[in-house]
Amino acid sequence: MIINNKEPLLEAKDLKTYFFTENGIVKAVDGVGFKVYQGEVLGLVGESGCGKSVTAFSIIRLLDYPGKTVEGEILFKGENLLRKTDAEMRKIRGKDIATIFQEPMTALNPVLTVGFQISEALLMHFKISKDEAIKKTIELLEKVGIPMPEQRINEYPHQLSGGMRQRAMIAMAMSCDPILLIADEPTTALDVTIQAQILDLMSTLLREFNGSLIMITHDLGVIAEIADRIAIMYAGKIVEYANKRTIFYNPLHPYTFALLTSIPRLDMEMKRLNVIPGIVPNPLHFPEGCKFNPRCRFMTDRCKEEEPQLIKVEEGHLVRCWNIDKVAPEVKKGLLVGV
Amino acid sequence: MNRILRKLFSNITSLIGIILLIIFIAIAIFAPVIAPPLSEDHYLIPRMSWDINPQPPGSPMSDDIRDIYDYMGAEIKYDRAICGTAEGGYDIFYGLIWGTRTAFKIGLITVSVSMLIGLFIGSISAYFGKWLDEILMRITDIFLSFPFLVAAMVLTTVLGRGLDKVMIALIVFGWMGYSRVIRGSILSAKEETYVIAARALGVKDNKIIWKHLLPNTIFPVLVQASMSIGSMVITASALSFLGVGAPVGYADWGQMVSFARNWIIGSPGHAGQYWYTVLYPGIFIVLFVLAWNLIGDTLRDILDPRLRGEL
Repeated sequence: MIINNKEPLLEAKDLKTYFFTENGIVKAVDGVGFKVYQGEVLGLVGESGCGKSVTAFSIIRLLDYPGKTVEGEILFKGENLLRKTDAEMRKIRGKDIATIFQEPMTALNPVLTVGFQISEALLMHFKISKDEAIKKTIELLEKVGIPMPEQRINEYPHQLSGGMRQRAMIAMAMSCDPILLIADEPTTALDVTIQAQILDLMSTLLREFNGSLIMITHDLGVIAEIADRIAIMYAGKIVEYANKRTIFYNPLHPYTFALLTSIPRLDMEMKRLNVIPGIVPNPLHFPEGCKFNPRCRFMTDRCKEEEPQLIKVEEGHLVRCWNIDKVAPEVKKGLLVGV
Repeated sequence: MNRILRKLFSNITSLIGIILLIIFIAIAIFAPVIAPPLSEDHYLIPRMSWDINPQPPGSPMSDDIRDIYDYMGAEIKYDRAICGTAEGGYDIFYGLIWGTRTAFKIGLITVSVSMLIGLFIGSISAYFGKWLDEILMRITDIFLSFPFLVAAMVLTTVLGRGLDKVMIALIVFGWMGYSRVIRGSILSAKEETYVIAARALGVKDNKIIWKHLLPNTIFPVLVQASMSIGSMVITASALSFLGVGAPVGYADWGQMVSFARNWIIGSPGHAGQYWYTVLYPGIFIVLFVLAWNLIGDTLRDILDPRLRGEL
């Protein structure tokens, strides 16, 4: 649901995060900007290595050397997170902005009990006793649908199944009632049925505490399920930004279009699975002009020379492409009948 | 934990190590019963005679010494040198028994303190990285560049005689290995997702090191520590042998070997006449070191996943 809030909860402005490697500067995130409103879900979609996760890590400032956010602003509740001291940032992490990680297998410490790891954040951010923290932990585990939580808190991660661990991770993230949740491919390591359960759980919890979510994924199915607005990223830049309906029914960027047509369809007869030709460009040697041009079927000479800006097509729909006029009719046809 | 204990007891070499260690612990605990002290300072080896020549095993306490104890009103609880006496009439048996306590003291204190120092320096160096890592590791390098025994000898000489001085010297030049090992382990472990997840929850740095990283990385250090308890005792003995260790007459195996220095060969025509002066303390040192090494070896085998066949 898109509510017409005036003030965004989180706003990234022209965010640039570079990695200074021995071989040169990798522009992992190069001028990304978006807004997340209260109670809304923003989907960050893109292929591996397009900068989705780096964007997330830049927001919570967990990038280690050689990664560094060199430019831009991250306004969270009107305050710039990039200007905060480490101690202030630590108070925000976990308390206001919580993160769910990709692999529940590795995101839980193997030598600590599940209960300890969940109550740790509680003890850190609230002045409560150990007993109260344990009680809250049991409640949380119950809320995320883990049976027999009194027993589970004394168990170690390897004693839980993948889905259970991801539920425990969600409980951990939700423990301090954050207002913004960043989920970095939370369902990638899970099978489809568990995926559906986890997504269901996440949207229920989100509605309950009226929080916002930044969902990072390469799975358009997941995004269709949960997101309100979607930002499609390619090579460190947002190439299309719109609400869910527009992205799925009226995309204007050739990359979004190609992604959508690459999904196998069950409702029509198709001889071959569509793919996007070529590979993701090496971040050390991005192509000249539009970074998508070597793989784009609408490519013109101009694409090779000049990089397009984000163009506002209509309110809340931004596209980074020179050939929107050419793409639009093709897209209409393509999405209907397949390519 | 159960698995580790089971392996320790099922393996024959480690079982030998454990049995040896248990015997040594028993000796250390029951030292006052096995060799009742005659003087106020329990670590002072009683003299059985004033004779400069070592006396063979079984020789009795000389009369003039007995007179002194009678005069002092002390109760003479035993009056026979079971393992003979060393140069100057020092009772070897008493020295061996109370030397066990000294050995444990040296081994455990030096290793645990230097391990703590090493863990502290290594872990903050690895976790915080950058310039702190640079500085701390260069300091470690400087300490590593001194030859261990020579450096320890020089420092003990400067500080003066005494067991505490020996231990200080061993600690000052003994922590670098631990800091290197833990630094390596933490460098790789801190990239794990659970560490990033903990940071994303807002957990404080010291708590991440203490609660999340060390439990995952400490085992190689523990193995190294258990192995070096033996070698620390050897080094302390070497210092005593060279005459810069424990004060004269202190119950310390190294010192007892040092007493034997002039008598190892024996007298002309009687090679090995004074065998007891060097053999008994030597055996004790060797067995003590062997016990720790066997246990350390097995610990390493158990904790190394490559040898365990899991990788």
